Amino acid sequence: MAKREKSVMYVEEPEIGFWEATFVPAIVEGLRTTMKHLVSRETVTEQYPEQKPDLPLHYRGVHRLNRDEKDRVKCVACMLCATACPAHCITIEAAPAPKDWPDRDKFPQTFELDELRCIYCGMCEEACPVDAIELTHIYDLTGQTRDELLYTKDKLLNVFDKTRDNPRDPVRTGRGVLGPASEFQALPTLGPATQVATSDRSAKIGTAGVIESGTGNVTDGGARS
Amino acid sequence: MPTVLVNNQPVEIGSDERLNCIQAAAKAGVEIPAYCWHPSLSVVASCRMCLVEVGDKKPDGTVQMQPKLVPGCQTPVKDGTVIISDSQKVQEARKATLEYLLLNHPLDCPTCDQAGECYLQDYSFRYGRGYSRLQEEKNIKPDKDYIGDQITLFTDRCIMCTRCVRFTREISGSAELHVVSRGSHEEIDIFPGHPVNNKLAGNVVDICPVGALCSKDFLYQQRVWWLKSADSVCPGCSTGCSIKVDQNEDQVFRLQPRPNPLAQGHFMCDEGRFGWKYVHSENRLTTPEHRSNGQAIARDWDTVLTSARAALRKAAQSGPGRIAAVLSPWMTVEEAWLLASFVKAIDPKATLSIGNTRTTALDDHYPKDVKGRVVEPVKFTIRAEKAPNRRGVESVIQHFDGDVTPFDETLRLATEGRFKAVYLVGGDPEGWISDLQAEAFSATDTVIIQDFLPSPVLKHATHVLASGTFVEREGVFVNHGGLAQLIRKSIRTPNDSRPDQRILWDLSERRGLYHGETVRSEIAMAVDSLRELTNPLLAENGVMLNRSAEPAGVTA
Amino acid sequence: MSELLITLLTIGLVVAAIPGVCNYLILLERKMAAWMQDRVGPNRVGPYGLFQPLADGLKLLLKEEVIPKHVDRTLFVLAPMISVFTTILALAVVPFGPVEDAPSWLRFIIAPGIDIGLVFIFAITSLAVYGIILGGWSSNNKYSALGSMRASAQVVSYEIPLGMSVVGIALLSGTLNLENILTQQAQGGILAWNIWVQPLACLLFFTSSLAEANRLPFDLAECEQELVGGWHTEYSALKWALFFLGEYTHVITISFLTSIVFFGGWHFPGIAEPDSAYMFAWLVKLLVLLTKVFICILLIMMLRWTIPRFRFDQLMELAWKVMIPLGLVNVVMVMFVQQFQLSRLWLVAGSVSIFAAWGFLSATAKRAHLSGGKKRPATHTTGHGHGAHAAGHGAGGH
Repeated sequence: MAKREKSVMYVEEPEIGFWEATFVPAIVEGLRTTMKHLVSRETVTEQYPEQKPDLPLHYRGVHRLNRDEKDRVKCVACMLCATACPAHCITIEAAPAPKDWPDRDKFPQTFELDELRCIYCGMCEEACPVDAIELTHIYDLTGQTRDELLYTKDKLLNVFDKTRDNPRDPVRTGRGVLGPASEFQALPTLGPATQVATSDRSAKIGTAGVIESGTGNVTDGGARS
Repeated sequence: MPTVLVNNQPVEIGSDERLNCIQAAAKAGVEIPAYCWHPSLSVVASCRMCLVEVGDKKPDGTVQMQPKLVPGCQTPVKDGTVIISDSQKVQEARKATLEYLLLNHPLDCPTCDQAGECYLQDYSFRYGRGYSRLQEEKNIKPDKDYIGDQITLFTDRCIMCTRCVRFTREISGSAELHVVSRGSHEEIDIFPGHPVNNKLAGNVVDICPVGALCSKDFLYQQRVWWLKSADSVCPGCSTGCSIKVDQNEDQVFRLQPRPNPLAQGHFMCDEGRFGWKYVHSENRLTTPEHRSNGQAIARDWDTVLTSARAALRKAAQSGPGRIAAVLSPWMTVEEAWLLASFVKAIDPKATLSIGNTRTTALDDHYPKDVKGRVVEPVKFTIRAEKAPNRRGVESVIQHFDGDVTPFDETLRLATEGRFKAVYLVGGDPEGWISDLQAEAFSATDTVIIQDFLPSPVLKHATHVLASGTFVEREGVFVNHGGLAQLIRKSIRTPNDSRPDQRILWDLSERRGLYHGETVRSEIAMAVDSLRELTNPLLAENGVMLNRSAEPAGVTA
Repeated sequence: MSELLITLLTIGLVVAAIPGVCNYLILLERKMAAWMQDRVGPNRVGPYGLFQPLADGLKLLLKEEVIPKHVDRTLFVLAPMISVFTTILALAVVPFGPVEDAPSWLRFIIAPGIDIGLVFIFAITSLAVYGIILGGWSSNNKYSALGSMRASAQVVSYEIPLGMSVVGIALLSGTLNLENILTQQAQGGILAWNIWVQPLACLLFFTSSLAEANRLPFDLAECEQELVGGWHTEYSALKWALFFLGEYTHVITISFLTSIVFFGGWHFPGIAEPDSAYMFAWLVKLLVLLTKVFICILLIMMLRWTIPRFRFDQLMELAWKVMIPLGLVNVVMVMFVQQFQLSRLWLVAGSVSIFAAWGFLSATAKRAHLSGGKKRPATHTTGHGHGAHAAGHGAGGH
């Protein structure tokens, strides 16, 4: 209650004086501002096709499906991305993993992502338990038909191959220094829950949603930026 | 009345009720978690999840608690029993139990089919510690892909509750599953060459509280949180098992039994469980047709229904008794009522008959011993009569005609050319009329067929009304013992086909949209044997139409 | 040369020039908007984007014309024509150059010597609102209808101060003929410009002209945030372009009128006097007038990107509670001065004091309205106060 009291700010309508009532100072001040900009001629425009934009490191562009160290698709077809997706743009058909993948039960037989329907919110990336889907820095997505922008598993893996060595892309999940959750091979012996320190994490966290820095792989991504 | 105290909350139990702590607590609305206990299986108390504090309240008011935690599933309650399930001690025990159960669990929820309806997840979330202290490598056992034709076993996910083992021993009696090895080497397995292929095998997937036993049919098809369930009734035989139909986006993915003490208990047979595939058959009739000389001349409902109605009226004008309607034991009571009353309104002398009810030789009772002999008491029965609603349809016909004209009699009359118009309702996905029987209608002027799959008689049809399967309709099925249960619509009919009740509603020129409750109250008013249809309990476990009749088939 | 030929030539000139001028005004406006917002503006078509208007025009010409099925076809097609026709027609009586000094083969007004020039302009330009109303109504679309309803209310309201503001001028000059009003100012020298004696009327005139032309900050009728596109939501291609042609022609007209009625038209001391007799004096006078007009247009554009849009009730309040009373008082003042043959200096003083008095009144009224006759709570932690504010506050705090 006390906190709420403090965070509330009461704003009162300003008193209208004589000059305000005549509108004159406001108009003059406004014209002064616009005139200043009109004259100064400093532009912030980027001349896009010639000049490439300097994207922030957390930019969310076209998706990619990562490969694991054996070049297989990393996705385990858990469909959490499809569940999390607010635009329902991900369609996965799962199947039992091929026989020569002894460490995997399930894999995505098809993985379709409708780039036109996607709103690039990054929820799929958040939801993915194995860091298989990521949003890259590719922003200039074009196509002449709708089908072209219906990205299949092959296309999404292709995006990974293209951006694999782009220093800007492996930011959020930090390719190469992935957390234990993404190393599926190690999963049976070292599941994600066992990675937590031997004290109760839920008891330690003071504020919900705040993860202290210095633990986990949150900082790995940050350190690169 | 005996009174039990659950977390200081008094609960009255029936004087002849024999409950354990879990059931008594459930009466108080308190959940006591359990894995190995199942209401229709024997008690082993092996998972230790249901540990609670139990004591006695003496007549002088003092309470004497037992010094150790006891498994709730194994502890019967009596007057004065005190159950404490929320103490620090119990909570600590649950945390320890869950940590232990998860020691060797792979935690592969993302790829596990059970995720979303898994008791390990639920209980870990509600009662668990949230982390494990295990530092050593997990003990991983290889998956067993072939446990049965329909079943696969992810050995590493198993928590050794032995529900499946007890099921095969006690309910199916076939005893294929058993535990091999001891200690941390324990595994569920089959004897070599004896897979779990009995007719109740699918139930072991349902009763598995974790994702160890999975159905090959459903494996990786959907995440369970996408499925929407509708309560319904299995149409596979006249047992009328209560089921849940799980669907997503008009695609049925699985049927699961819904516990119903009035109907079948907790289980269902594999015939019913996997027998719904015809719902998505490519042969489905999906457009209505008005045919002339074998050629479709109209394919829209308005025209087809109007012309069917006109043909029936015309036949009625040519004299009494020139119309026959063959109802199907697959129709709901409401549909039978709508059709019968419509036909009788046109021609009071019309013949009402019930179509072929497919039957096998004998009812199939379980459990059976290894030699195939039925062991008493019977716990599950697959009926020989393979139609869901013969009794209900017959009651409707009896209301109009007193007795039911046999199908063969109708065929004979048709062959003699007695009928100008017949209305045939199909519904049995395995065929309800033979080529020979179909010839009886070759000379009939108007043959109206309401069905969802092609049948031999289709070549004589003048009107084809593409109808719906049991998952696309709503209405009442009356099982062999007179139990009326509701089936509910879970998906839409494909393309231009329509659910039967809607076809008949429109055919009889009723206004507005089909409304089941209206029709049911209409039936209840008119037909004495069906007066219970207005009972609100119908929507839950169903109602016995004949109150004095014993609810047959209630076991387990 | 025959009178008829010259008239036809002038008409041809005006009608031909207006689309081009409007196009480039649009480019100018876009450029100015960009500069004010620290952007670059159109710069892809031609050097500095100079061919942008051509590209735009061509695009609008060649674009597919969509006439939705649900519209009233006749009126839908008619509306943009009315809009353009009326605004261009209003230009007929506007002297766009030194009429008397023009060379014999040229004339700077289409219809010279119209005695009711001002009245004619007001009559015709207010007809332009029919274009908007019909366009909005025939579109059979809620947003369009709302937009056109707003437009009609707004135009009817601002018609009054607009007319009122020039009544004073008419009384002072004794004529409604624009040419005569201009000549009088030119002959009297710079101090005879009407701006000195009627500053308040000038303000009223300019403001209500903006409202008449549906220009920002008064473009409530096509307010994108609320009404998609307002009355022209359903329009596309050339018909849409005609609406904007109409709007920009209106801007040109009001700029001409402001320059002529209040700023002495082509007159500028020392450069363009009525008795300037040097070669091409007419050209200089023309340029002086066009410069004044240009400055006026620039001001309108500046205002557009400076002042935010009014709320509709504020718009109406401005018209009925401020501008109409001010206009009335101004007319009364002029009548007083004329009747009693007072010095015209009184008009200057009067205008300023009326304006000041209204500012004072308005401030006082606003203050009274705000306090609502009650004392406000001194601190927020004490529970009293009034209205919903106090209720929410009380529930949260105590």
